[in-house]
Amino acid sequence: MTQRIQIAAVFIIIHLSFGYVVYPNLIYMLTETAHWEVIICQCLLQLILIWVYMKGLNYFPAQNVIDIYLKMGRWAAIIFLTPFAINLIVLASLNNRIHTEVIISIFLPRTPYWAILVLLFFISVYTALKGLGTILRSAIFIFLFVIPLVVLNIFSSSVNFNIHNVTPGLNLPPKFLLEMKFFYLLGFSSFLFLGFIASKTKLLFRQLFAAWVIVTLLSLSIVYIPLFIFGQDTVVTLKNPFLESMDSIDISWFSFNRQAIFFGVLLVGLVILTNSVLFWMIGTIMQKVYKWNASYWISAFSFIALIIALVVPNKNLLEKYFLWSSGAQAFFMIIIPITIFIYGFWSNGGVRGHGKK
Amino acid sequence: MGKNSLYKLFFAFMMIMLLCGCWDIKDINKRTIPLVLGISKTKGGEYKITLQIPVLKNERQVSKVVTGTGETITSALGKIRTNSENAVDYTQIRLIVVQNHLAHNQKEFTNIVKFLMGSEEIPSRSLIAITDENVEDVLSSINDKLGVHASSIYDFFNKGADWAPEVFSTPVWEVYRSLFSSTKDIAVPLIRSGKNTVLIFEGSDILRKGEIMDRLKPEEIQLIRVLQNKNEKGKIESLGFASIMVSNSSIRLKPSLINNKPSLSSDLNIKINVLERNDGVTNKKIMEELERIIEERFFQILRRMQESHTDIFGFGQEFQQLISYNELKNWRDEYYPDLKVNFEVKVNME
Repeated sequence: MTQRIQIAAVFIIIHLSFGYVVYPNLIYMLTETAHWEVIICQCLLQLILIWVYMKGLNYFPAQNVIDIYLKMGRWAAIIFLTPFAINLIVLASLNNRIHTEVIISIFLPRTPYWAILVLLFFISVYTALKGLGTILRSAIFIFLFVIPLVVLNIFSSSVNFNIHNVTPGLNLPPKFLLEMKFFYLLGFSSFLFLGFIASKTKLLFRQLFAAWVIVTLLSLSIVYIPLFIFGQDTVVTLKNPFLESMDSIDISWFSFNRQAIFFGVLLVGLVILTNSVLFWMIGTIMQKVYKWNASYWISAFSFIALIIALVVPNKNLLEKYFLWSSGAQAFFMIIIPITIFIYGFWSNGGVRGHGKK
Repeated sequence: MGKNSLYKLFFAFMMIMLLCGCWDIKDINKRTIPLVLGISKTKGGEYKITLQIPVLKNERQVSKVVTGTGETITSALGKIRTNSENAVDYTQIRLIVVQNHLAHNQKEFTNIVKFLMGSEEIPSRSLIAITDENVEDVLSSINDKLGVHASSIYDFFNKGADWAPEVFSTPVWEVYRSLFSSTKDIAVPLIRSGKNTVLIFEGSDILRKGEIMDRLKPEEIQLIRVLQNKNEKGKIESLGFASIMVSNSSIRLKPSLINNKPSLSSDLNIKINVLERNDGVTNKKIMEELERIIEERFFQILRRMQESHTDIFGFGQEFQQLISYNELKNWRDEYYPDLKVNFEVKVNME
């Protein structure tokens, strides 16, 4: 039971981590009115994929995604999972770098970015090396520490809300569904890690559904807080809308006069856990597919990720690359659940739980 | 065993490295922390930055005023940094005063607001004000007044609810928002240095997309605040034969669109306390007179604003639901001049 709560916590934390930095900008680019439509559509699409993924995984009890691919054949594992692992490296490194930039602009304006980058990398690699148990336990810790801050952010920002800045209308027909950027949005959700831990616990769709509802509500808050404060016209001109909306809050009776600091602290917690999960996934994939100790793989690949993060020259390119890598991530998010589902269905002749124990 | 101690050694080594994390931080007592920033331009066309910095060590002097010039605001700020004996920390600036010749130039003012918003150091929640005087005089006037604090210029704008409801504050981010908004304009307070007090509040300049359209007196500004749903509590009004204080106010706006012509009915409810009155003045007379005065004042401002296509009341915001997003971009020029407002004031005695 506790493990399921831990998994839900990881699920929410990863979504939040991806959600805060680039996600709102993408939504504002996709539509000018009825932003909720985009978010709900994306979350529903994600829910469908999760359902397919869970169904597929349930055909193979006590086996994770890598085992299933290996069952298909070693070639399948190499073809599907090696590019995925490489994408994860890029995603981890860019995610870390993007968070570093935001953290610098909030409270460490004079510190060179490599110093923060190295620190964040060190902690997340350490967590990843310690294995899944540590990640899950620290997820609970970070969750307890981050959620009050998220709530504080939401409530404190409400002093600047102006409901009239948002049009709650409908967009019919929903044109954004055909845009490429809409599918990029999918890359921000990462439910794929669920398949990597399934060997330890049997997951219930019901509990994940609860986590999914929380994630949807949080996504709405991330998009709507800047909208309520600035309005669509202004929000598209801002580089980091959520950060600016935190910065606009001035509660003179409150002992801390910068709400953005809380936001920065929150980001640190989120990025460390997210990256450790990504590294751990890389480690598991490589160990099972290429047979070598996972910790060596993690160390080597995190070093490559660090180099990539250091090499990216500026913010504009960073955001572009991040978008590309999340686009690739979205691709895997569709491909992996569907192949698993089809293989499971085919190999078991449609009978559930028929696989070898 | 050997592997474990190697781990520990590595961990201890990392700790030592992390301990050096503060190498680039200056202690707070070695920083200069300005509270007010003044922006003006010299005759040569260079930006001139004036900072009011509290002095803690000297008992006679509460603050000092430092200036620097440069081709851009950043270079002027940088110059002050170079010449200062301490590290200058701009993150605590609470008020930004812009001199009128910059504020009256739409392009200049827009650039300043964009710079302030984009700047990572200067907080976007700091307040902004315009002055007709020399910025330096306004900032240095604090040194001549007896018994005031270095933070008094900032305190001037933050008296707290119902102490002086006419004085209102506008943060930088709101001005920035108004640069892009198509349905709401903004008022920026106008200040000058006083003879006995630190500042005198003179009213506000009304900005439409960064361009100054009009200037309103303090009592007119008051009304705008009420209509934007901020409370008018504490306002004292003299009717000639009586003085009253507003103890509560609320407003209800109801937009409607008929034949593409916008109309708005707004009911303002005011609760008052009578502070003093001449002999024989009835409650009814006071109420009627107050209703008349407020309505008259409102329609006067509205007419002026509609002529200059400036939506200071933010009435366009009410039509977000009725007019489509793209049409709303033409709100000021196409809809607003035709807007009919059915404004009714209802005064109640407490």
